[in-house]
Parts: sequence; C-alpha cells; structure tokens
Amino acid sequence: MNSKVSLALGAVVLAPVIGGFIRGLDRVITARMQGRVGPPLLQPFYDILKLMRKEPVVVNRIQVTYAYLHLILMILSTFMLVMGQDSLMLLFILAFSSLSLVLGGMSVRSPFSRIGAQREIVMMVAYEPILILMVIGFYLINGNFQIQSIYNSPRPLLLSMPLLFLAYLTVVMIKFQKSPFDLATSHHAHQEIVKGLTLEFAGPYLGLIEIAHCYEAAFFLALVGLFWTTHLAIAFFLMAAVFVLTIVVDNLCARLTTFWMFRFMWTAVLGLALTNIVWLYWR
Amino acid sequence: MLTGSEFQSGVLLAIIAGPILLGMAAWAVRAERIRNVIVMTAAVLTASLGLLLARGGPFVFEAGPLAAHAATALEFGVIATLATIGFRFRIWTVVGMSLLQFAMAVYELLHSGAEQAGAAFVLDSLSTVLVLIISLVGSTIVVFGIGYMHRHEHHAPSSAATNGRFFFFLTGFLGLMNGLVLTDSLKWLSIFWECTTLCSFFLIGHDRTTEARQNARRALVINMIGGLSMTAAAVVFAHEGGNGTISGLIHSSSPVAILLPILLLLLAAFTKSAQLPFQSWLLGAMVAPTPVSALLHSSTMVKAGSYLVLRLAPAFQDTPLAIMVALAGGFTFAITSAIAISQSNAKKVLAYSTIANLGLIVACAGINSPLAYTAALIILVYHAVSKALLFLCVGTIEQQIGSRNIDDMGGIMFKMPLTTTIAIVGMISMMAPPFGMLVGKWMAIVAAAHTPVVLMLLVLGSALTIFFWAKWMGRITTTSYHDHYAIESMPATMKGALVLLGVTVVVAGASSMAVYKQWLQPLAVSALANVTAQPGSEALMKTVDDYMSWAMYPILAVVAIVGLASMITWGKTQVRLPFLCGENAGSDSKSFEFRSLMDGKNTAQVTSYYFAPWFGEAVITRWANPVAFLILISFFARISLI
Repeated sequence: MNSKVSLALGAVVLAPVIGGFIRGLDRVITARMQGRVGPPLLQPFYDILKLMRKEPVVVNRIQVTYAYLHLILMILSTFMLVMGQDSLMLLFILAFSSLSLVLGGMSVRSPFSRIGAQREIVMMVAYEPILILMVIGFYLINGNFQIQSIYNSPRPLLLSMPLLFLAYLTVVMIKFQKSPFDLATSHHAHQEIVKGLTLEFAGPYLGLIEIAHCYEAAFFLALVGLFWTTHLAIAFFLMAAVFVLTIVVDNLCARLTTFWMFRFMWTAVLGLALTNIVWLYWR
Repeated sequence: MLTGSEFQSGVLLAIIAGPILLGMAAWAVRAERIRNVIVMTAAVLTASLGLLLARGGPFVFEAGPLAAHAATALEFGVIATLATIGFRFRIWTVVGMSLLQFAMAVYELLHSGAEQAGAAFVLDSLSTVLVLIISLVGSTIVVFGIGYMHRHEHHAPSSAATNGRFFFFLTGFLGLMNGLVLTDSLKWLSIFWECTTLCSFFLIGHDRTTEARQNARRALVINMIGGLSMTAAAVVFAHEGGNGTISGLIHSSSPVAILLPILLLLLAAFTKSAQLPFQSWLLGAMVAPTPVSALLHSSTMVKAGSYLVLRLAPAFQDTPLAIMVALAGGFTFAITSAIAISQSNAKKVLAYSTIANLGLIVACAGINSPLAYTAALIILVYHAVSKALLFLCVGTIEQQIGSRNIDDMGGIMFKMPLTTTIAIVGMISMMAPPFGMLVGKWMAIVAAAHTPVVLMLLVLGSALTIFFWAKWMGRITTTSYHDHYAIESMPATMKGALVLLGVTVVVAGASSMAVYKQWLQPLAVSALANVTAQPGSEALMKTVDDYMSWAMYPILAVVAIVGLASMITWGKTQVRLPFLCGENAGSDSKSFEFRSLMDGKNTAQVTSYYFAPWFGEAVITRWANPVAFLILISFFARISLI
C-alpha cells in the first residue's frame, strides 16, 4: 500500500514534466507538418518559467481562486488515477477541475473570455456522457469500478471495447483543443475569440493553468494506456499513435461550430459508445 | 409523570396540530409585530419538536375509534371544501372530481364502515428523515418569510391577500406535511394529501393577479387528479380485503392483487412530485411569493410525492412495476434537465432542476437495490436543503434588483456579497464533490449499472445539469475589481435564515459520506430487507463503501487557504482592465465601453447560450409529454398482463 502511495506521489511530480514534453513535441511536430522550424522541444517549460517570474496581474479577486482550484483538482485526479481509485468519482473530480477554469473565464467582463468559457461548457456536456459510458464499459468487463481492477485485468480492454476506444479518441481531441474541436481556446493564432477562455489570466496565474494543461496532457494519454494494460510496450505504442493521430487530424481539419460539435458528439460518437455498451451487456 | 410513549404521542400530536393552531392564531392577529412573534414561535416549536421526535426513536401511536370517526368527518369536510372552491371559482373539473370523490368516500363508508379505517400513526426511520426535513428546513423558510413578506407587502399588487392568511397556510403546511409522512392509515394520508393541495392552492394564488389565479387553479386540478387516484386506491384496496393501512399494503400476502392500488398511489405521487406529464403546476407555482416556492420545492409538497414512492418501494420492487417506475423517473430527469438549459428565468431553472431531481429519486426507487434506495434518500435530504437555500437567494436577489432574469444578475457580487456568496455555495453543492447531491448522483449511476436504459437517461441528464448550473454560476460571479464590497441591508430574519441554511449546506455537504454510512445506508438496507435485490447490487454497494473519500478534504482545505490568502494578499496595483474588444473607454474598471472603428464608443455585451431551438420548453414538451403519458399508460397495460 505504501509503495502505491509513493508511486502515486511520484506520478504527481512527474506528470507535469511528461506533459510538458508531450506539449513541446506536439508543437515541434505541428511545425514540421506546416513546413516551419517551430520552437525548441523545451518551449513549454520556458513559457511556464517566464510566466511564473512575471508580475501577478488580475482582473478581479475571485479569478485567482479558480486558477488554483483548476490545478489542484487536476493534481488530485492524477493522484487518484495512479492509486487505482473509483473511476466514476475520478470523472466527477476531473469535471469539477474543468469547471473551475470555466468559472474563472466567466467571472470577467471580457466577451472573448465569456464566449470561450461557454463553449468550454458545451464541450464538457458533449464529452461527459462518453467518458461515463467508457467507465461503465470498464465496469461491465471487470465487474468493478476501481481502476485498480483495470491494471490487474488479464485481457487487453481494447479487444472488448474498440468502439468505446474510438469514441474516447474524440474526447482526447476535445480535451487537447485540437481542430475541429478547438473552440474554447487555442494555441494557434487563428482563433476569432483571441485566446478565449484563458484570455484574462496573466502572469503566474496563467502559469498555473499551463501546468494544469501539462497534467491534462499526461492524464488523458495515460487513460489511452488503460486500454492495453497487459503489455507496457503496446500501451506506449497506443499512446504514441493516438498522440500523432490527434496532431494529424488537427492539421487536416478546419474548426467547426460549437453546436455542430455538440450534435456530432451526441449522435455519431454517442452512438458508437452505446453500440459497444449494448454489445457488452449481451456478451 | 408521563411514560415514554405517552410523551412521544404528545410530541407527535403537537408537531401536527401545533403549527396549524399557531397558524390560525397568526391569521386572527392583526398587529404585525405580535403575528411575527407567533410565526417565530411556530417555527421554533416545530423545529424543536421535530428534533425531539427524531431523538425518541421509532414508535407506533394507536388512536381510538373516535379518531376514526373524526377522520371520516374530516374527509367529507375536505371534499365539501373542494367542491365549494370549485363552485366559487367556476372550476367545473374540480366540482366533478370532488363529486366523484364523494361517491367513493360514501361507497367506502358503506362497504367497510368507519371503525375499520384505523388511525395509527407510525414513526419509523423513513418518516423520521422526512419529519426532520419538514420541521427544520421548513421552519427556516417560514422564518425567512417573516422578513420577506414584510417587504413583499410594499411590492405586491393591491389585490394580494393579507399576510396573516399567508402565514396561516405557510405554517399550517408544515403541520399537514408532518401528518402526511407520519400516518399509516390510507384515509388520514388522503386527508392530509388533499389539505396540502388546498394549502398550495391558496398560497400560489396569494397575489390574486390573473396569472396567480390561473396557476393556482392548474395546481388544484392536477393535484386533485392525484387525490382522486389516491381515494380510488383506498377503495380498491378495501375491495381486495385490505385493512386500509400502508403497512398492510406493503406486507400484503397477495403481491399481485395489490399492484393496482399501488399503481394508483404511484400515480398520485407522480402528480404531487410533478413528474412528466404533470409538471406544469409546479412551474406555474413560482408566481407565488418566494417563501412559497421555496417551501413547495424543497421540504414539502413535492417531497410528499417522492416520500410516497419511497414508502411503497418495498411493495413494488421485485415486481414488473419497478422498471417502469425507474423508466418514468429517468425520463423526467433527462428531459427536464435539457429544458432547464433553455431557461433564462432563474426561478424556472430552479423549478426544472427540482423536477429533475425528483425524477432522479423516483428512478432510484425503481432500481431494485439498496444502493439505489440510499441514493434516493441522499438526494431527498440534500436537495431539500440546497434547493431551499437557492430559492431564498433568488427571492432576495429579485427583491433587490427587480428581475429574475439570469442575464441581469451580472455584478451582483458587489451589491449583495452575502447573498451571492451563499447562492454560489448552494449551486456548488448541487453539482460538485464532496457535496451530497453529487454523491447521490454518483451512487445512482453506479446502482443503475445493470439497468441499461435507465443508466443512459441518468448519464445524459447529469451531463446536461452541468450546463445550466455552470452558466448561471458564471453569470453571478462576474465582477469587476472593488476596493470594498457593499454591506447588504436586509431584515434579520432573512439574513439569519440564509446564513443558517448556508452553514448547514457546507457542514452537511462536507460530511456527506458519513451521513451515508451512519444513517442512510442502514435505513435503506432495513427498509428493503424483505426484497430480493437485483444480482450484483451488493458488489456495487461495496464499490461505494471502498471509495477513498478522505482524499477530498485536504485538497479542499488547501484550496480554501489559497483562496483566502490570494484574496487578502494582493492589492489594487495588480488590477488591470479586461480586454473588451478594443481600447477601453475610460479607466473605470466597471465599464463595458470600448473604442473601436472611427473612435466610436461601443458596449460589450454577451448573453448566455440557451440553444432555444433545440432545448426550448415548447419544443421539447411537445413530444416529451405524450411520451411520458404513454409510459404511464403502459404501467396499466403491464399490470393487466399479470
């Protein structure tokens, strides 16, 4: 038990570093695809260090609390994941983390930030059922809601829930703010709502959010790994494949509207997930 | 010296009759100051009697034949009152229904005689939960009402009824509800049921505007359908040889024969807890002054319906009715959560959220497992506190800013920091860990893992609830920087009630897992002791028990410290203006004006997302009501096949 706690604490320390590398690699690959040289691999770390040294600037009092809440709940989620805790509760804590950022974006009077925040809510509503169904899928296979039971599962889950895996890929696309779903905020300079959701965060507080995003990158790729827990090498390959795929799709697609995203998720993707769930029931 | 059970019986009678009698006194008194003292006494008395009754533990109170005769007399009295109201306001459906009810009451009297009716009051663990909700949350709302109605008198239309009458019905409601959850006799249940219907009719119609009258009538008609169905249930049950008590119905030796009376009682419960397609009366009820909406939506009235469903659950679980009940509840939950997204009226959002949560309770009662039953109880308790709080906050905000439109609520943090903070606490408690509502929802989804269709409805519904709460919370937390906040002025009773409920929400929310383990889980397990739970339900319960709930608290403590520290430490020099859409016009941090093309001044304005073409009230109810109606019809079809 103690070794598990120390492993989880180690993961909490390492996750942002891994996440930072993932995001750096993302920017390098994207640049190469677009025929640019792009930033160095360590750029996300430089960004965060620079932000942390800046003067703390705010628009109102409550904003700061939300930035901390976002990061701290993300850390808790990572901790719970490695501890192998209840997967459904994990999703709720994860949702509360995203919600904190949304509320931070809503608490200012800038229209860009508010529009971004509302789009982020729609995105949450769009992907939340898919995540819950994925967890239900885990339950139906393992007979247990604990993530620990997935770690111990004798057979790769991907073989039993291929359609849920596909559905989960779209969730990853949304969480990483990749086209066609980069609605609320974007790393690229082509957003009509400027920086959207995170527009009014600055200095160290934006730094906190950037760190939380590093956690997110590591967390959601780690969830990909849950689909193949029997061989670590295959799990890594799966994660790498998903990572490259998100970048390719990001560069192939144009951004679509918010409601299109919602409808797509609640019809096509939800349909995929449901088909898989029905199959699991009748197995 | 009184013996223990005599004392208990005295408390039981006092908690029913006390609020009603004190309410009468409040109506009779003209001077506002004396009336306030009486109302305050009623509230404190009801609350302390509730605690006293809960401390005493379960017991049975056998009333003599006199009480049975009194019940018969009261029954005819209530029917006569309903008929009179029908004639007086020309509502012919009400007249018709009261005539039908009269016929059934006469038939029952001739068929079984008055003596058999029995008048036992039973205090068990389920009614204890309800009595605590009614007497504690309900009394707090009544206290709030003292200050609120004093202000309301100045805003209200000249047609409004007197405050004395208002407080009679408001405090009387608490006594009637206590009676409703404590009685074991179907006859008394039916009497209290109709009396709460009457109370809500007068309270909704309080302002006597055209809209208020119309909505009061609708509430009366729809709830009378339920009352009629309940009387019919009693007649059918007597016909099957039953003894006219709820416990007799639950422990009946012929489970198939009692399905029809149970179904009729469920129908009554559905009307009272505003399940689809009966939701319109509860939506109309918000024309009433805020304490009424708070009372109807949280601790009384609608909770009578969910109480009855939970009370009957041991009887219908394990029968084909269970899955239908779960389906009807789940459908209501998902549909009303979707409609809530399209609403900009704060009270209407709250109303739809109430219906959704009642649907969730009903859905849980229909899932065949102790875990689901526990989830239903958790939602019942926590919803009562949080929703009372939110309604009172909206009422206070409305009196201050003169609007109940959510889009008008930007910047209220500065004007009314206390109310806004408490409202935010209330909203967080509706959706975030570790508060009870989320714990309940979590358990509901876990428990539904083996009922795919219900599961789907719950999953979609809970995703949709995030949407409207987040939108609203974002709106009311919108602030500019202020050096200091205004100090709100409001009557001590209103402030006291808000703070009390706010503290309760936080304390009860933080201890939700303890409440689950110590109180509600044992209750559910013992209530369903005689029912065969669906396979796998024990393993699911264990999943919940294994949850590492402590991990949440250090995290929240860190957030609280960081939040407070950040509020205290930084100063004005760090504040910058938000980016509107160009250069800010002037240096006022509260301004929405900016300069863009041609140096002209523009105002930045963002409304919320409503998605009205897809989630609009009319758009959805057009098909959802017929579907819900079909589900109800299929209930009857299903039991006729047995």
